[in-house]
Amino acid sequence: MLWLLRSAIVIIYPRTSLPGAADCGLDAHLLKFKRETPFLIWAGTVLGALVFHFTPLFTVYLPLPAFLLPAKLADRHAAKITSTNVYLVRQAVFLVKLCAGLCWGADPEVRKRFALPPLKADPGTWRTS
Amino acid sequence: MSHVSFREKGQDFEASFDFVVVGSGAGGAAAAATLARAGRSVALVEAGAWRDPDDYPHSAYGGLRDLTDAWGSQVTMGRALWPVVQARTVGGTTVINSAICVRTPSDIFRQWEAEHGISDLEAAVLKKQDQLERDLSVEEVQPNALGRANLLAIKGEAALGWADPHPMLRYTRGCDGGGMCLQGCSTRKKQSTNIVFVPEVLRLGGTLVTCAPVDRVLFEGTKAVGVTGRFLHPERRSKGATFTLRATKAVVIAASVTHSPVILMRSGLKLPALGKYFRAHPGTGVFGVYDEPVDMNIGATQGWASTAFRQTPGLKLETLAIPPELVASRLSGGGVQLMERLAQYRHITMWCHAVRAETAGRVTRSLFGNPVVHYTLDRPDMERFRAGMVLLARQHFAAGARAVIPGIAGMPYELSPDQVGLLDDAPLDPQKYIAILSHLFGGCVMGKDAQTSVTDGNGRVHGVQHLVIADASVIPTNLGVNPQHTIMGLAQVFAERLV
Repeated sequence: MLWLLRSAIVIIYPRTSLPGAADCGLDAHLLKFKRETPFLIWAGTVLGALVFHFTPLFTVYLPLPAFLLPAKLADRHAAKITSTNVYLVRQAVFLVKLCAGLCWGADPEVRKRFALPPLKADPGTWRTS
Repeated sequence: MSHVSFREKGQDFEASFDFVVVGSGAGGAAAAATLARAGRSVALVEAGAWRDPDDYPHSAYGGLRDLTDAWGSQVTMGRALWPVVQARTVGGTTVINSAICVRTPSDIFRQWEAEHGISDLEAAVLKKQDQLERDLSVEEVQPNALGRANLLAIKGEAALGWADPHPMLRYTRGCDGGGMCLQGCSTRKKQSTNIVFVPEVLRLGGTLVTCAPVDRVLFEGTKAVGVTGRFLHPERRSKGATFTLRATKAVVIAASVTHSPVILMRSGLKLPALGKYFRAHPGTGVFGVYDEPVDMNIGATQGWASTAFRQTPGLKLETLAIPPELVASRLSGGGVQLMERLAQYRHITMWCHAVRAETAGRVTRSLFGNPVVHYTLDRPDMERFRAGMVLLARQHFAAGARAVIPGIAGMPYELSPDQVGLLDDAPLDPQKYIAILSHLFGGCVMGKDAQTSVTDGNGRVHGVQHLVIADASVIPTNLGVNPQHTIMGLAQVFAERLV
């Protein structure tokens, strides 16, 4: 499932003049996301990746999963499926975008391009006394 | 000073106090401070963990994980799935909001009197708000904290001649525009309740019980005598020991608009109005695209707001800076197209509206006992919603934007100044919008009639003794302004009337 989600994210956030999601510590992020989020959020995100991969028939008219599409067609599918008029499909794919955006937007190189300082590590601590 | 945090199974915790206050956000902490100042013993119970500013996260991911309720995953059940964002930490939503302070408008008190029979609150609440403004160091946003995004909003407002009767005030002390309101202000400039009231309660001998979601209120006959629940580990999310906190004088529930009614439901209360009359400020943002970099994350997260349209059409407008992590999912599109849009990040800034919606929804509990919010904006409110987007677009253009990004499904991604008229005919289907419910009201509304309300005008639950609600769930109407000041004022009045 991690592979499925990762491959959807890499298509949605490709490397351009900006770093792509794959350049931003995506694998570690996905492991952390799976470990730390409640099951329903994780399941919804995976469902979003499934929807993303198995809908090219409706966007680029090919009966192939997105991960088997040539790069240009996969990119066209990403543009179309994220803007589809089918609300639940759009919402499902939105979860994938959100999961990836939390990783991509926090990356030091991305922030540098946007003239923002790198984020400090989240302490993840709380008071016990 | 006494703090009881997560305890593993087998280490049950029981204690007795004069008052048990459930929830440490705007209502609960303000009420607890009032009770503690009166010399009463108080337990302040919070479902989330106690995080000091040094513990606050820096990333949006950390903010969702550490500070929000269920990772911000609560959404409305209705035509569209709109997030209902609330915090779950000591300080509640005051930790993650932008600390905007607006006094309760006087027409609200008149409405409460005419429609709900609540007649003696205005003077008492306004007196409390006077004091709260001193306690929480309310100040206007200083010029050095504004940043370009807020300055552009002021420019647009001036160019359009909007007359706002209220200056923008916030509960901050020397804010220098760090732009991290949503992740908690780690510089301690924001005067959230965990910075001000919770330490005061502890200094006055109160007890703070954290990681302690209350399951139900305990009753002896029709008298509330305490609360019980099980500790919940903030990281592992595993349940720990049982806690039982007894209250000899009263239990005060201030667990939020979604949780307060559900706690009463789980406690077996069957009141006809329980969970009903849920209202909110649904809102969305419109990005402006500028030729020069705006760098919206430099400066106060929300340094400008306008209540000029509160009455007609029923809107509040404000700036809202969101970090790259959230912009990435907020902009439509995918693939190279999305990356090209994200490349504009420094040149875009988001201003948003909050609709003073009349639509009423309801809060119920799921099979697992959690809150479920049923809410779909009706057509008149969607028309207000659309009108707000038109105003924001016009404001951007008046401020010099070359385009706006409305984010409406099925419409062009960008609109130029000569296309802004398209927004007048934008769809009225909630599914076409990415929106959020930011300010919530109702679910345990106050009123004279026990058939249509849950509490009286002192927050006391009809038909039972020693049980008071002191959060936004008692507010029976939509305020049309940021509610924190009203919640704190009401909570302190209710608490004062208990002692």
